[in-house]
Amino acid sequence: MGAAATGLVFAGLAEFHVATRLWSAAGWGVKVALPDDRLLALGAEHLALSMGSLAAAALAAVSLGVLVTRPWAGRDLRGAIDTLGTISQAVPPVVVVAVTLPVFGFGPGPTMIALFAYGLLPILRGTVAAIESVPSEARDAAEALGFTSAQTLWRVELPLAAPLIAASLRIALVLVIATASVGALAGAATLGTPIVAGLQNQNEIELLQGAAATAALAFLADGAALALLGLLERPSPA
Amino acid sequence: MTEQTLSGWRSRPGRAATAWRSDAFGRLAPAATVLLGFYACNWISIAPNRLLPGQGVPALAALGPMVHVGAAGLVLALALGTITSERGPLMRLAPITLLIILASMLVVLTGVAATPLLVGRPPAARVMVAAGGWLSLAGLLATIAGEARRTGIHAAAPVALGLVVLIAAAAAYSGWLDALSLAREIRARADLLGAAMRGHIALSAGALGLGLAAALPLGWAAFRSPRVEALTSVLLQGVQVVPAMALLAALVPALSFILAAFPALRGVGLAAIGPAPALIGVAAYLALPLVSSLVAGLRLADAAVIEAARAMGMTEARLTREVRIPLGMPLLVAGLRVGAVQSIGLTTLGGLVGAGGLGAIVFEGMAQFAPDLILLGAAPIVLLALAVDSGLRTLGRRLRGPQSEP
Repeated sequence: MGAAATGLVFAGLAEFHVATRLWSAAGWGVKVALPDDRLLALGAEHLALSMGSLAAAALAAVSLGVLVTRPWAGRDLRGAIDTLGTISQAVPPVVVVAVTLPVFGFGPGPTMIALFAYGLLPILRGTVAAIESVPSEARDAAEALGFTSAQTLWRVELPLAAPLIAASLRIALVLVIATASVGALAGAATLGTPIVAGLQNQNEIELLQGAAATAALAFLADGAALALLGLLERPSPA
Repeated sequence: MTEQTLSGWRSRPGRAATAWRSDAFGRLAPAATVLLGFYACNWISIAPNRLLPGQGVPALAALGPMVHVGAAGLVLALALGTITSERGPLMRLAPITLLIILASMLVVLTGVAATPLLVGRPPAARVMVAAGGWLSLAGLLATIAGEARRTGIHAAAPVALGLVVLIAAAAAYSGWLDALSLAREIRARADLLGAAMRGHIALSAGALGLGLAAALPLGWAAFRSPRVEALTSVLLQGVQVVPAMALLAALVPALSFILAAFPALRGVGLAAIGPAPALIGVAAYLALPLVSSLVAGLRLADAAVIEAARAMGMTEARLTREVRIPLGMPLLVAGLRVGAVQSIGLTTLGGLVGAGGLGAIVFEGMAQFAPDLILLGAAPIVLLALAVDSGLRTLGRRLRGPQSEP
């Protein structure tokens, strides 16, 4: 609830009339704010870009997480993922956007790659921790019942790991939405677009609107994810 | 966090017989990337000038039959790695040495091969390293890192990768790579690059210092009182939700309003454009990892140990200095490592608010759409972050002591 309420407050701050009133009330001169329909359209593109990249990252990360927790997975594979984690920390999203820009050109391409790379690690880490947390008694019981290893995965390990995996998806969702603004530097239409335009044209009101709208979207998405998680948890028998 | 989660795997004894399959996968994936770059992509491209897209040349056409030698060397090194994994340290280092020679040879060969391609072309023509070259280089570095890890010698990976970087730098310095566009870009901006690098290091160190200055009292207060802990964690997590670019950008008008209200601050050297918004913005982001690792580190000491120390009559100050801090050291250093690496990455955005640093070069390259200029700014950022990461990782390992090594 807290996240959704904070999101609504930020959304209100970003709204055209509110932003204009606040600006003139503070006596900071006359600047032209971004109209609401443009802000909403950018917000929709921002959300679509984030969700698309997140879905791809989730698919890749959960599959990888399942792969490395198989009993036959060796140490080198885990070492490789350790290395991947170090590298993804060392290469910030803005650098990924910059380096992939010559390959994909201006548009959503570089941003999707950067968001995919940025979302991958928290989900992978969450999936691995979730599957590791499944008690070995549950696995032994499944084996005793004659489950194949695929059945154990689908009917024992994944259902038990699901809440933790979902929690890591929620963290990645907020990270990805907050980061998608950087894409505006490479020509992706996101809520970062007014931030970049505001910086270039010295239009601070536009800049602050973009910042507030991004924070609003991140908080609202977090609230929605929390609500969804609550809904999913309720009907399952303990 | 990464390290703790990923190295906390349950070991499953008795499965070693099947483990080689995935070990083979983990080793072969980077090697396959190298071969992909050798045989399936364009190694370099020739462009009429530094901004226009070029025409690709595959590795076989650019480097000649040496490509096959390189591929054979790679396979040989992997095979050698399998055979020597149980031998003495010198034998175990042999395949890595071979791989380092291979990587250096490829770098120099690419530079040498580029020279004849420029003959008879206008002076603005450029030879750029294309997808294949970068793929092979990345795959080779990953192979070196992986094989070095297999030796079980901790210093092997950073030393081997550092050697490759050094050799490439030496080759560039002595003119072997002069025909490559990236080298020309470096030469044209050598002074600028040096200044940007120094600026970047100073900015990220300053932001880390500022973040620490805020995190130490906050972390201590959060450690003492759960109410303060709840409040700081909500506030600091809220900062993480604001996009970094927006926070830095919003600090520019915010600082200019503050300066308009208190002109005396200008006398202290505070300005709305320049290092100030970058330092404050980056430090605000670092506060969360720093504070949370500080609190976790201080809590690490066992309650029984604390009780025993209290019973011996230790004061709170001595307790913290002699029990809590030494016992929590691994977590404190891990938090510092995350903070330092993030600081180097986030400082890139300082280029947007006039703080300079390597980010300024990256953004200039993006504005001109000049790939080599982007790389010129981006590569040192990544190398710097990796170097700091491996340095603080080593420090953390030293402090933990040899007895807790797995």
